Amino acid sequence: MRKLLSVISFLIASSAAFAQGAHDFKLNEVYVHTPACCMGDSASATCEKQASYVDEYGQPASWIEIENTSYSTHDIRNCFLTINPAVLDKSMSAPEREKLMSLIPAGDPRTSLSAKQRITFFADGKTNRGTLHLNFTLPVNEAFTVYLFDGNAVDLLDSVRVEALPAGSSYARINDAEWQVLEADKVTPNAPNVAYHNDKIKEFKEKDPHGIAMTLMCMGVVFSCLILLFVFFHIFGWAMNRAAKLARVRAIRAIHEQAVKVVEMAKQGTTETKGVDMETYAAVIGLALHEYFGGTHDLESGVLTINQTSTTWADKSHELRVTPQLHSAN
Amino acid sequence: MLLESVSTMDFIGTKLVDFLTYTGFANVEWANIIMIAVGAFFIWLAIAKDFEPLLLIPIGLGIILGNIPFKDAGLEIGLYEDNSVLNIFYQGVRLGWYPPLVFLGIGAMTDFSALIANPKLMLIGAAAQFGIFGAYMVALALGFEPSQAAGIAIIGGADGPTAIFLSSKLSPNLMGAIAVCAYSYMALVPVIQPGIMKLLTTKQQRLIKMKPARQVSQTEKMLFPIVGLLITTFIVPSGLPLLGMLFFGNLLKESTKTTRLAKTAGSALNDIVVMLLGLTVGCSTQASEFLTWNTIFIFIIGACAFVVATASGVIFVHIMNLFLPKSQKINPLIGNAGVSAVPMAARISQNEGLKADPHNYLLMHAMGPNVAGVIGSAVAAGVLLGFLS
Repeated sequence: MRKLLSVISFLIASSAAFAQGAHDFKLNEVYVHTPACCMGDSASATCEKQASYVDEYGQPASWIEIENTSYSTHDIRNCFLTINPAVLDKSMSAPEREKLMSLIPAGDPRTSLSAKQRITFFADGKTNRGTLHLNFTLPVNEAFTVYLFDGNAVDLLDSVRVEALPAGSSYARINDAEWQVLEADKVTPNAPNVAYHNDKIKEFKEKDPHGIAMTLMCMGVVFSCLILLFVFFHIFGWAMNRAAKLARVRAIRAIHEQAVKVVEMAKQGTTETKGVDMETYAAVIGLALHEYFGGTHDLESGVLTINQTSTTWADKSHELRVTPQLHSAN
Repeated sequence: MLLESVSTMDFIGTKLVDFLTYTGFANVEWANIIMIAVGAFFIWLAIAKDFEPLLLIPIGLGIILGNIPFKDAGLEIGLYEDNSVLNIFYQGVRLGWYPPLVFLGIGAMTDFSALIANPKLMLIGAAAQFGIFGAYMVALALGFEPSQAAGIAIIGGADGPTAIFLSSKLSPNLMGAIAVCAYSYMALVPVIQPGIMKLLTTKQQRLIKMKPARQVSQTEKMLFPIVGLLITTFIVPSGLPLLGMLFFGNLLKESTKTTRLAKTAGSALNDIVVMLLGLTVGCSTQASEFLTWNTIFIFIIGACAFVVATASGVIFVHIMNLFLPKSQKINPLIGNAGVSAVPMAARISQNEGLKADPHNYLLMHAMGPNVAGVIGSAVAAGVLLGFLS
């Protein structure tokens, strides 16, 4: 039984560990490269900007950015990316789905993302170029949906529908919530989509310059915590006391009933003693009376009842070698 | 031959001159001397005056250690230099993992019976946290940023580990001064508190005898860390590192099945962490970082925080007494114990109680608000962290 409980506890703990991590990955920004820029109109500012978003080989490409939204390090290896809506077909088996998706390979330290870190995958259809390259491309001037699947190829972690984007723009998640089209000069590969600054401190500085609101809120929380503890232990302590008293009363009642029975039997003489002599009955009666008058208790009072008495044994004068004598001043 | 010996002498001379540039004598500044004197003063206080020697000796020696002047030549010896031994020890302070370990030890050593037997004493522990927020307002008025003000204000909780934990998160540049200030005032609790307690109580009030606390069953003791953890961390998850370890340590103690772990947490482990914590906190007070106007302000605010915390605890007992029946009145001398300097504050309640009436023992009653103060200050730190980080 103990082993079974241990196994169950381990499985529960392990399941919690498995559940963490993958669900913290969110699609963060999607950028569609417009090939026209590389061919003709390369002088425009938009095309210049686009030309700077290049892969490790210096080639401009569309990309999908994923963010680890948690404050822990997680590895995105073995997850899948795709834009093929067929993977949503629930009747499809995992191996069939995998064929329609691009696997993020294991064995590359770049796929391990620390807190709030981002990674960019190039959607150029050239997986031979490395871990960060996907086996599909993003359609230009066309709407599509990007799907991010967990390593089992079944659980959808995140998805986003991207409408046809203007050249050089990206579609980005702002403030961990809403998606917006970012203009060419605001596209942020491998960087936060908005500059981070601690609004909380600024807000407190502006709206609570003397700290009164902070004091009220914090003291409220501190008092709430300790009041809740007070209420719980007040009630619990009362219940425990009550239970102890009830147990005492039950014990006394049981002894009392026994004592009554024994007295009855004693009154009847030797007829119902079943071989037990009268001395035993007397002892039982004595014990019952003692318990009845306060001997039954499961907790000691803690009060010492030894009264000091003066005896010759405790007389300090006996400890002296010479009996002290009172001398007059002169 | 002669030429060779001349060049050898030259070499030795050059190297000796070079060596002299590395010595403390060549690099010393008046600020270092002042800080070394401060360190020596702390050690004197600890040894000669018996002021919290367990805290002040490591801090005092740390101050001296941190202010030994040396040439910045990448020798990886200074506290703030990457990969130095002291820097490795300092990670526990900088990243804030020493304080939860200290809380583990505190939990393993603390008996919450007094609090469980008389739960209304928890409210005194909450009231004393006014010291933190009084200091927060003073710090804001002196021009500190809200995050810095919060780091400084936590000194009012009279809890060194909590002060280090919060300041490492909210105001790391002030952490050295905040930590030294918190520990110094904790050591000075016997000097600061009695005057305020006397000022706020009458002779009659100091004579109040409280009913002996009821006996607490083992079930209640075991339940306390679990319920305490659930209630406090559900309300203030940001206090999880401190509260989690505090209640974990207490569960080790009260479960009766892990006595060995509780003993280690409360003795050897706690001693090791306190030594390293005290030493590195002392080291972090390098003159260039420490001798600034900010430090002086922090010490002033810290003193205000302690005064307000003590006063608010005592005043709150007076308020509670207005609503309590005569047989359940609380001696206001235990109000000061709402700050979480365990068990110094409770000891002061006991001493002051005995001064008023040699037969009035307040120690066990004062332990209630004292341990409630530990919980209260950790909760307050969690709330501040949640609001400002």
